[in-house]
Amino acid sequence: MPFLAAEPITTLVPSISEGILWAIGASPFAAFVVIALSYRWFPKIAGYLAILGVGAAMVLAYVTLFNVIDADGGIAQYTHEWFRAGSLVVNLGVRVDGLTAIMLVAVTTVSFLVQVYSTGYMAGDPGIGRYFAYMCLFTTAMLGLVLADNLFMLFIFWELVGLSSYLLIGFWYHRPAAAAAAKKAFIVTRVGDLGLLAAILLIWTRTPTHTFDIATIQQVAANHQVAQWVITWFALGVLAGAIGKSAQFPLHVWLPDAMEGPTPVSALIHAATMVVAGVYLVARFFPVFEASPDARQVVAWVGAITAIMAACIALVQTDFKRVLAYSTISQLGYMMLALGAFGYAAAIFHLFTNAFFKALLFLGSGSVNHSTNTFDMRKMGGLRKAMPITFWTFVIASLSLAGIFPLAGFWSKDEILLDAWRDNRALWAAAFAGAFLTAFYMFRAIFLTFFGDYKGGEPVDHHDPENHFHGDPAHPHESPWSMAGPLLVLAVPAVAVGWFAYRDAFADFVNGALPAVEESGSSFEWGIAISSTIVALAGIGLAYAVYYKEWVTSKSLREGFAPLTILFENKFYLDRLYEDFFVRTVLQRGWNRLLELNDKYVVDGIVNGTGQLGRELSQRLRIVQNGQLQTYGLGFAAGVIILVLAVFTANPL
Amino acid sequence: MSGLDIVGPQFAVLLAAGAVLMVDALMPQNRRLVPYIALLGLGASAIWTGTWVARDNYQEAFHGTLSLDQYAVFFYFLFAGITATVVLASIDWVNQEGRGQGEYYALVLTVCAGLMFLSAARDLITIFLALELSSIPQYILAGWGKDRRSSEAGLKYLLLGAIASALLLYGMALLYGLTGTTLLLGIGEFVASPAGEANRSVLVLAMALLIAGFGFKMAIVPFQMWVPDVYQGAPTPVTAFLSVGSKAAAFAVVIRIFFEALGADFLSSDWANVFAGLAAVSMTVGNVMAIVQTDIKRMFGYSSIAQAGNHMIGLAAISVAGEQFTLGASGVLLFVAAYAFTNLGAWVAIIAISQKIGSDQIKDYAGMWKRSPVLTLGLAVCFVSLTGIPPTVGFWAKLYIFNAGIRADLGWLVIIGVLNSVVSAYYYLGVARQMFTGDAEGAEKVRTSPSIGLSLGVATFGVLAFSIVPIPLITAARDAADIFAQR
Repeated sequence: MPFLAAEPITTLVPSISEGILWAIGASPFAAFVVIALSYRWFPKIAGYLAILGVGAAMVLAYVTLFNVIDADGGIAQYTHEWFRAGSLVVNLGVRVDGLTAIMLVAVTTVSFLVQVYSTGYMAGDPGIGRYFAYMCLFTTAMLGLVLADNLFMLFIFWELVGLSSYLLIGFWYHRPAAAAAAKKAFIVTRVGDLGLLAAILLIWTRTPTHTFDIATIQQVAANHQVAQWVITWFALGVLAGAIGKSAQFPLHVWLPDAMEGPTPVSALIHAATMVVAGVYLVARFFPVFEASPDARQVVAWVGAITAIMAACIALVQTDFKRVLAYSTISQLGYMMLALGAFGYAAAIFHLFTNAFFKALLFLGSGSVNHSTNTFDMRKMGGLRKAMPITFWTFVIASLSLAGIFPLAGFWSKDEILLDAWRDNRALWAAAFAGAFLTAFYMFRAIFLTFFGDYKGGEPVDHHDPENHFHGDPAHPHESPWSMAGPLLVLAVPAVAVGWFAYRDAFADFVNGALPAVEESGSSFEWGIAISSTIVALAGIGLAYAVYYKEWVTSKSLREGFAPLTILFENKFYLDRLYEDFFVRTVLQRGWNRLLELNDKYVVDGIVNGTGQLGRELSQRLRIVQNGQLQTYGLGFAAGVIILVLAVFTANPL
Repeated sequence: MSGLDIVGPQFAVLLAAGAVLMVDALMPQNRRLVPYIALLGLGASAIWTGTWVARDNYQEAFHGTLSLDQYAVFFYFLFAGITATVVLASIDWVNQEGRGQGEYYALVLTVCAGLMFLSAARDLITIFLALELSSIPQYILAGWGKDRRSSEAGLKYLLLGAIASALLLYGMALLYGLTGTTLLLGIGEFVASPAGEANRSVLVLAMALLIAGFGFKMAIVPFQMWVPDVYQGAPTPVTAFLSVGSKAAAFAVVIRIFFEALGADFLSSDWANVFAGLAAVSMTVGNVMAIVQTDIKRMFGYSSIAQAGNHMIGLAAISVAGEQFTLGASGVLLFVAAYAFTNLGAWVAIIAISQKIGSDQIKDYAGMWKRSPVLTLGLAVCFVSLTGIPPTVGFWAKLYIFNAGIRADLGWLVIIGVLNSVVSAYYYLGVARQMFTGDAEGAEKVRTSPSIGLSLGVATFGVLAFSIVPIPLITAARDAADIFAQR
C-alpha cells in the first residue's frame, strides 16, 4: 500500500481568493456570451474579444499558480449547496491545488496563444465569429472541468467539453469529411462517457454519505470505506471515460479524424487540452487507482498498448497533421502508462510539457499549411529556407518530444521511464521502444517537409467558393506575425518547462493535491537518462539515413517490413473493424433489419392488422385444441418445477 | 347480530344476488330494474363496511378464520367499487344479449362476495372456499356469450382453473400435513420454530405450489397462458371484471399467506427472490407480446400480464421486516387500486366502442377522436396512466412501488421495470395516437349510453382525482398494510 495513512484534507489556503477562481471560468464565458450576441454584426471584433476573455483568465490562472506555490501546493476548496432533494445533494464548488493550478496555466496559456494565432489563420473565413464563440465556450468548459470540486459539476463540464469539441471539429460542416469526423468523435467518446456516468452513479450510491465530492471520494477509497469491488469498478468506469476523451486504445480512432477541424482547434483541443482531460481525470482520482491494483494495472497496459500502437501508425502516415495526431495519442499513452506505474507526478509533468511542445508542433503544421495549402508531406519539401521561423521552432519542439537533453520532453519522459522501470520492466520496455519510434517518426516528418526539394504544394482551386486561401502555394512564404509570434513564444516553454524538474520542485508541487504521498526515491537516474537519449538519437539517425541521405530508401524499408507496414498503414484494422463490422454490419444492418421487422410486424400489425406474427400467434392460440390445453397444463407443471428448482439452486438445503 | 355484522358486507351483496334472481323470474315486466338492484346491494355493502370504519369495529371472527381489519376493509371498498362499475358497464351488453339477465348479475355479485371473503380469510380452508366461490361464477361468466369463442374461453378458463386449484390444494395439504393446522398464524408459528427450518424442502415445495395456484389468478408468467385467449373470447364486461377483480384478490390473499404463514426469515428471502424473478419475466413477456397484438382485447390481456409483473415488484420488496414491509405491501395495495380504476376505465371505453363498431381490431380504432371525443379522451387518460406518465395516478403508483423496490435493494428489478414502462408506452400510446390522428373508417358518431357514460365517468374521475390528490389513496394503502407491521 503506497498510502500509510490517509489524512482527511483540511489544508485550506485562505490566501487564494474564491472570487479569482470563479473569475477564471467566468471570463472566457463572458467572452463567449458577448461574441455569440454580437458576431452577426461585428464579426471583426470576435477575435479580440476572445483574446481579451482568455487573456484575463490566463492572468488570473498565473496569479492562482503563484498563490498555490506560496502555499507549498496547498489545497483550497469552496463549496456551496446548489440544491437538495432527499439524499441527493448537489454542490457548486471550486477546488484548487497543484494539479488544478498546472492545468489552469497550461489550458489558458495554450488557449491564449491559439486565439492570437487564430486571428491570423482564420482571417477571411466567413464563420470567424462563430469560431471564436466556440473556442471561448470550449475554454470555459475545460476550465470548469478542472476547477470542479465534485463529480456532478465535473460531468457537466466534461460533456460540455465534448460538445464544443464536436462543434469545432465540424466547424466546416459543409465538408462531408469534417461533419463525419465530428460525428465520429462525438459518438466514440460517448461510449467512454457512459462508463464515467456509471462510475459516478455507482460511487454516489455506495459511499456512506452519498457524495459527489471529489476529496471525499478520494478519502473513502484510500481508507477502503467501501467494498473493494466498488473501488475497482468505479476506477474502471473513470478509466473508460478517460479512454474515450484521451483517445486511448481501443477508443482512439476518433482523434486522427478530428484533424478535419481547423488546425488551431487541433492544436488547442486535440493536442494540448481536451485530450489530456482523461489523463487529468485519472490523475485526479489517483488515490482510487492506488487503492485498486487491478484497475491500476489496466491503466498501465492501456497506456502502453496505446503508446506503441499509435507510434507504429505514425511511422507510415503521409499527412503531416495525422503524424502529429498519432503522436498525440502515443504521448497520451505515455501519460496513462505513467499513472499506472505510480508515476503520478511524472504523468502530470509530461502532460504539462507536452501541452507546450505539442501545441507548437500543431501550430507549426498550420503554418506550413498556410503557405502550401496542403497537409500532404509528399507535396512539400525544402521549406526550411522559405519558412525559417516555422522550421526552427518545429525542430525544437520535435527534439523536445523526442526527449533530447536538455529540452522539456527529456525531463518528463525520463521520469516516466524511471517510474516504469521501478514498477514493471515490461512497461519500461514498451516505453523505451516507443521513445525510439517517436524520434524516428518526428524526424521523418521533418526531413520530408523541410528538407529536399519543394514539390509545389496543392494548387489553389479558385472555383471553389469555400476556398479562402491567400497567396501562392508554388512560392511558399513565412506566415504573418500573428502566427509566427505564438510559435516563437511557445518555443520558450518547449525548451524550458522541463527545468522545473530541478530538485523535484514540480513533483512536490503537484503531490500536494494527494491525501498522502509515499517517497519513491530520486526522480533522476543516469542509466535511464543515457539509455533513452541514445535510443532517441538512434531514431533521429535512422530518419536521417532514410529520408535525408537515402542510404536506405523508404520504399525498400517498407517492402522489407511488408506485413508490418501494411498493418500500420491500415491502422491495425481497428477503424475498419469498427466501421465495417460494428457500424455497417451490426449497427446499420441490424438497425435496418430491426426497422424492417418493426415495419413488417409491429407497424403493420398495429396499423393494418395484418402483421404476420400477430396473426399467426392469435390463430394458433385461439382455437380450442386438446393439444393446446395440454400445453397450457404442461406449462403449469413446468412452472412449478422450475420454481422449486430455482429456489434450491439459488439457496441449497 | 354479531355474526351477521361480521359477514354483513357479503350478506348485502348475496341478498341482492338472490333478489335479482327473484325479480327476474317472478316479475319479468320489471326486468329493467335488475342491474339497479345489484347496484343497491353493492351500495349497501359499502355502507356496511363504512360503519365498521366509523365504529372502529375491527375484529377477528369465526375462531380466527376471518380477520376484519383495515386490510380487509380496503379491499371490501375496492371490490364493491369494481363490481359496481362492471355492473354499470354491463347493462347495455346484457340488454343486447337479452337473456338470463338475473343470472348474469347474480353471478357477478357472487363473485364479488367471494372476492371479499378472500381478502379477509386467514385460514387455508376459508381461503380455498372463497376462491372457489369467486372462481366458479367467473368460469360461467367467461362462457356467457353466444358465440363459439366465448364458449371456448369459458371452457379453457374452467379447465385451467381446475388445474390451478388442484395445485393450490396440494400446496395447502402439504402445509396442513406439516403443521397440523389450517390457520395462517398457526402455520406461521410452526414455520418460525426450529421445526420449520428443518422442513424447508417441504415448505419450498408448498410455496411453489401456492405461487402456481395464485399465479394463475394474478396472471403472471409462467401461469399466464390462458390470459389472452380468455380475455379475447369472454364478453368484454366479464373480461374487464377478470382483469381487475380476481387479480386484486389474488394479490390480497398472497400478501396475507406469505407474510403470516411463510414469513420466517429463512423462507421469505426465497419467495422474495422468486417473486422478483417472476416480476421481471412477467413484465418483459407481457410487454413484448402486447406490442405485436392486433386485437385490443388480446393486447390488454398481455398488458395485464405485464402489469401483474409491476405489482409483484412490491411483493418482492415485502420480505424485509419492519418499515420496509409496509412500503412493499402498501405499494402493492396502491398499485392494485390505481390499476383497478385505470384499467376499468379503459375497458369501459373499449366496451362502448366495440359494441358500436362491432370490432376489437386496433386498426378500427383509427380516427375515433372524430367519432367520439368523450370515449377517446377517457381512454387516452387511462392509457397515459397505465403507462405511468406523470402526474397520473398510475405514475404515483409506479413511483411508489419502484421506490419500495429500491429500498429493498432491488435496483436491477426497478431498472427492468422502467425499461418495460418505456416498452409499454409504445403500444399504449400507439393506440392513443391512432385514435387521434388516424383516418376514421366510418363517419357515424359513436354514441354512449348513460350507463356507460356514468361508469366511464366514475372510473376516469377516480383516475383524475387520485392523480391530482394521491395522498388519501396512499394513506389508505399504508393504513391497510400497517396491520401487518403491528404484529
